Amino acid sequence: MIKKKKQVALATIFTLVNTLSYSQNNMSSFYSESTFLALIILSVVLAAIAALLYGIKRHLTVLNNEKFNEQIEPSFYDAKIRPIVEKWNPTIATLIVAGALLVILGGFGYKFGMDEVGVQQGYAPSQPINFSHKIHAGQYEIDCKYCHSTVEKSKSASIPSLNTCMNCHKYVKAAEKYNGKTSPEIQKIYNAIGYDGENMEYIEGYEQKPIEWIRIHNLPDLAYFNHSQHVVVGKLDCQTCHGPIEEMEKVYQYSTLQMGWCIDCHRERGIDSENNDYYEEAHKNMIAEGKDFISVADNGGLECSKCHY
Amino acid sequence: MSSNNYWKGVEELDQTKEFVSSNANEFSEGLPLDKVFSNDDSTRANRRDFLKYFGFGLGAVTLAACNKAPIRKAIPYTEKPDNVTPGVPLYYASSSVSNTEGFPVIVKVREGRPIKFEPNKEATYFGGGLDGLGHSAILSLYDTNRLRGPMVSGKRKPLSWEDFDKEVKQGLAKTVSLGKSIAIITNGSNSLVTNKAISDFKAKYNNTEVIAYEPISYSGILRANTKSFGQRIIPAYNFDQADVIVSFGADFLGTWISPIKFHSDYSKNRVPKEGKMSKHYQFESLMSLTGSNADVRVPMKMSNVGQHLIALYRELGGATPHQGMEVAGNTIKVAAAELKAAGNKGLVVCGSNNEADQLLVNSINMMLGSYGTCIDTTNYYKGQTADEADFNAFLTRAKSGNYGAVINLDTNPLYSHPAAKEAFNAIPMRITTALTLDETSVNATHIATNLHPLENWDVKEPYKGRYVIAQPTISPVFEGRSSASSLVAWAGGDVADKAETTHAYNYTKQTFEAIVGGNFNKALEIGIVENLSAASVPSFNITGRAAADAIATKKGVDTELIIYQKVGVRDGAFGNTPWAHEMPDPVSKVTWDNYISIAMPDAKAQDLETGDVVKLTTKTGTIELPVLVQPGQTKSTYGIALGYGRLLPEEVKNDLKDLGKNAYPLVDMTAGYSDYTIGGVKLEKVLTPYKYEFGITQTHYSIEGRDIIREATLDEYNKDPRSGSYVHKPKMISLWDDYDYSKGHHWAMAIDLNSCTGCSACIVSCSIENNVPIVGRDEVRRRREMHWLRIDRYYSFEAPSQKDLSLSIVHGGEQTVEAGEQMTREKVMEAYSAASEDTDSAYDYYQNVRVAHQPMMCQHCDNAPCETVCPVLATTHSSEGLNQMTYNRCIGTKYCGNNCPYKVRRFNWFRYNENEKFDYHFSNDLGKMVINPDVTVRSRGVMEKCSFCVQRIQATKLTAKRENRKMKTDEFTTACAQTCPSNAIVFGDLNNKESEIAKLYANDRSYHVLEELGVKPSVQYMTKIRNKK
Repeated sequence: MIKKKKQVALATIFTLVNTLSYSQNNMSSFYSESTFLALIILSVVLAAIAALLYGIKRHLTVLNNEKFNEQIEPSFYDAKIRPIVEKWNPTIATLIVAGALLVILGGFGYKFGMDEVGVQQGYAPSQPINFSHKIHAGQYEIDCKYCHSTVEKSKSASIPSLNTCMNCHKYVKAAEKYNGKTSPEIQKIYNAIGYDGENMEYIEGYEQKPIEWIRIHNLPDLAYFNHSQHVVVGKLDCQTCHGPIEEMEKVYQYSTLQMGWCIDCHRERGIDSENNDYYEEAHKNMIAEGKDFISVADNGGLECSKCHY
Repeated sequence: MSSNNYWKGVEELDQTKEFVSSNANEFSEGLPLDKVFSNDDSTRANRRDFLKYFGFGLGAVTLAACNKAPIRKAIPYTEKPDNVTPGVPLYYASSSVSNTEGFPVIVKVREGRPIKFEPNKEATYFGGGLDGLGHSAILSLYDTNRLRGPMVSGKRKPLSWEDFDKEVKQGLAKTVSLGKSIAIITNGSNSLVTNKAISDFKAKYNNTEVIAYEPISYSGILRANTKSFGQRIIPAYNFDQADVIVSFGADFLGTWISPIKFHSDYSKNRVPKEGKMSKHYQFESLMSLTGSNADVRVPMKMSNVGQHLIALYRELGGATPHQGMEVAGNTIKVAAAELKAAGNKGLVVCGSNNEADQLLVNSINMMLGSYGTCIDTTNYYKGQTADEADFNAFLTRAKSGNYGAVINLDTNPLYSHPAAKEAFNAIPMRITTALTLDETSVNATHIATNLHPLENWDVKEPYKGRYVIAQPTISPVFEGRSSASSLVAWAGGDVADKAETTHAYNYTKQTFEAIVGGNFNKALEIGIVENLSAASVPSFNITGRAAADAIATKKGVDTELIIYQKVGVRDGAFGNTPWAHEMPDPVSKVTWDNYISIAMPDAKAQDLETGDVVKLTTKTGTIELPVLVQPGQTKSTYGIALGYGRLLPEEVKNDLKDLGKNAYPLVDMTAGYSDYTIGGVKLEKVLTPYKYEFGITQTHYSIEGRDIIREATLDEYNKDPRSGSYVHKPKMISLWDDYDYSKGHHWAMAIDLNSCTGCSACIVSCSIENNVPIVGRDEVRRRREMHWLRIDRYYSFEAPSQKDLSLSIVHGGEQTVEAGEQMTREKVMEAYSAASEDTDSAYDYYQNVRVAHQPMMCQHCDNAPCETVCPVLATTHSSEGLNQMTYNRCIGTKYCGNNCPYKVRRFNWFRYNENEKFDYHFSNDLGKMVINPDVTVRSRGVMEKCSFCVQRIQATKLTAKRENRKMKTDEFTTACAQTCPSNAIVFGDLNNKESEIAKLYANDRSYHVLEELGVKPSVQYMTKIRNKK
């Protein structure tokens, strides 16, 4: 009997640990953090039910024994814990336990809420084409703007359309790695756009199928973000927010994309008031006030409706 | 003048119990908390239920929070078009889709989908504005009820065009072999492309007749002009040339002929310049938008209009033995004197559809010499050319079986003409080109699904020599085909697409080059080509005397019914555009309904109140509708709007079917023309358990006797430009440290109450720009309309003229009140004290009201009261003077709405875009295409309000920064200011001293609403000046 209980307990712990470790390693691909949380809550609820059932069972046993005047050995609780508990002041004890629980759970909840809910840092989903930035941006040093061509013009940097890929991949088939055949990943481009790799020509009347990439960087709809603002006006490098993209075999979300992260940067970085005529007046005011630096925040970069409208 | 003179509606004036109780609270309905917390088991929801729901809610929220973040896809183009940059809008010049005349607009397109109409500022002749319906009509592109492809009756499944064409050709061949005719019904088309296609069609089928049909008839003017000077035309009216405008029942700012252009022309002379402005007399029976803007508005009966015209003709020196009929206060005499003085700068227009009336109007204008100045018959209007006599003759021939086939091009006569259905059914083959199933297409045997005008090419000629080019701004959403291509196909032409261009493009280009000439691409860029001829004055064939003789026997009637168009819905052709229905009527402020408008004296005499249902009987039919008491309306006249009561088939899904009743069958055609003034009307009260409740926005807030609207007369203004601003500027003591807005930008708005006509185009433009949801009639009844911008309409009484009641209007023994002066109700009643004993004329003073319109939106107060009460800092102030609203912070306490003195904050009660109960195109995939991607779609539970179009501010600033330059002066403007046809709203940067706004802020007429509160609003109003003594 005892052995069995031990087995159950071990199995439970094993599952929990496994879940925990699995969820940490593969957070983004299999379990989201919130699924993990749901499982934890489920476990707690199930444990509570188990405790309840145990209590009921115990109670029934006691009743049964009273009725038939059977003697049983006192339970572990009655024998060891009850004497200690009975010495306590119940009010203070309850308060202490409740307080401790509140601090632990609250702390956990706060940390979880602030850092985890909706934050997808490290998110690296598998894409329909195993495109490697390490090869393209790292090894061949292709400029980011060659493919993400609207980054200086528009709010979105834009994922390149297939005809951009075809500028090179009309000829580049990586055949040397695949025994003279077109690389299966490049073949996916051909299949989408309708290109005959063997004869090096486009197929007439082909029904093109766009590639459905999975978005990695998801800002909520309530926040307005403009790439051109940051790249052209703010003169930021792509890597500032996107990390060492030229080393990424598989792209992952480098930054938290939380509002605090935006705000921190807006507080620290300055605007290039000297070289942009738009800021002429602001630059004059800055010199008049004897400062040598205007941060984005000084320029109103923390005001709500700069990003939320 | 005291502000106490103004009132927003009869309910407020009378302080009815319902009005007082509903306005005591911010929201019309409280939360049922007492019920929830009561222990009384008889109430359905008690404390236990509350706890249950609370517990369930908590659990549900917890579970919902466990949801995995959804996987979002990013799908790029396979081959990106060269000119498309994702995230950057493109603008195309094209033609408005809400009217058939062709009106130049710019279409804003994001990633291949049109999201908004903007006025084409290049087309200066058309005024650079747009109306509410024009904006709303973009939704017709994203209507889920649109037909998916060509269809044959009985089979509601789309066919292929090949099979369809084969069937149509067979049918047409059969018609020819039987020796019967083919009829083509056009909308009096001024489309060069359609006309070319019709002539191609006729070349193949020479037994084809073309009949023009328009739901609203202007045949009176067409026929009169044919007789007067041999031209069957509607001339171009130039209101900007007129110093004195006299209108007899013509609602030229609202619905008459081409109101958007008239708006901008009219408003050019409405702001006093060097002590002068135009003078506008309006004689009318209903209270129209135009009447509400008149300097002198005199109630009259439309059935007497001929007699009044004779009187005017006599006063101007016309020779006639007839006396005519003067109106109250001898106003016709006064108007005649002013017209005479103005000479060829005077203009008389008349809304009557009677040929004789219009003949006399022509004679009067000729006497004044207005032809060549205010009236242009050379570059005339071409948007309306149909004469209902032709269509009626066609119906008679059809009934006798003359036709084997009818091709109906985008008109809907089965809705707007009561006799059309019977005649159409006598024709075996009924082909129609349509976008959706409507009364005509559901009855057709063949539906050649049309392309939406935004998917199609066209060249239109709204005015002679002015060509508007329409170009597609989206690739066809469904399998439609342009009606011109269909006609060509049935005539045996090849309409297949060639060399990457469609047939419609090639055909349009050829037509353009053949008829207009010039560079087609250049024309596409600007959207308008003008080849004008020098204006000449026509020579007259008929004298005014003969015209007067023709009217002389026409006598007025006891009770008359006026059939009119509403500004928002017009003739009803775009009945399926919810934005137009939700736009409150500029005068009655009723949404979503038509009704019988009735004058107060009649209402009192017949014991009727707003919401009582009555049965109205005329010679041609009866109609049962609720009544609405309309101040300003002439006694013994009733008004019903057209465009409602659609009979749509089951398949058409939306809430727009059960709106009002169809008034077209009441139009009187017995005299050979469509007479919109119908005599011999009987009214009978119908007993209903409840009063009908309108979705009416006028009394949602009360004025509380505050000094909100200011006005002065031109004389007062000329003496003292600050008159009207009778309140001393209060000495401001601020609790706050003043912020220095002199650095950077300081955004502000100025609204000229003189130019603003209340047309409400800005409301719809704002809604579309800012993704403001449509809430529907029921929600408007609960005061939950979401419009960020509203137009308040205030009434005040005018002293009646002495002749009106033969009373000497003396107040307080000494002070004499001049006729037409603004009065409080008490004074008016005092003046009428003798009359009030006479039950016939009691309440007659309700006919003499004047109207002021005032656009009201967030005032972006520097010391904003809403900001200080927000517990979560969701509304804050920016360094550029904007009152910012951050939706994702808002927890919906509504404190800000309570504390806002202007009542401009709106609480979002539902997720309108996800809720199927709000089926106004926003809640389905196709309708969502119209959403502006640069503005958040708000969820339920947040407050929202005007943002001064902050997305436009930010976008323009960014462009300047990217281009390494300063912002240009008035580089952009807000959606409301951009669309205003009368240029009443100006937006800009106060810190730029060259901007228009900075100049307007120095204007003497400027004031801030409720400036005594010290909230320092950023919206400035300018006192309304009326051209009166």
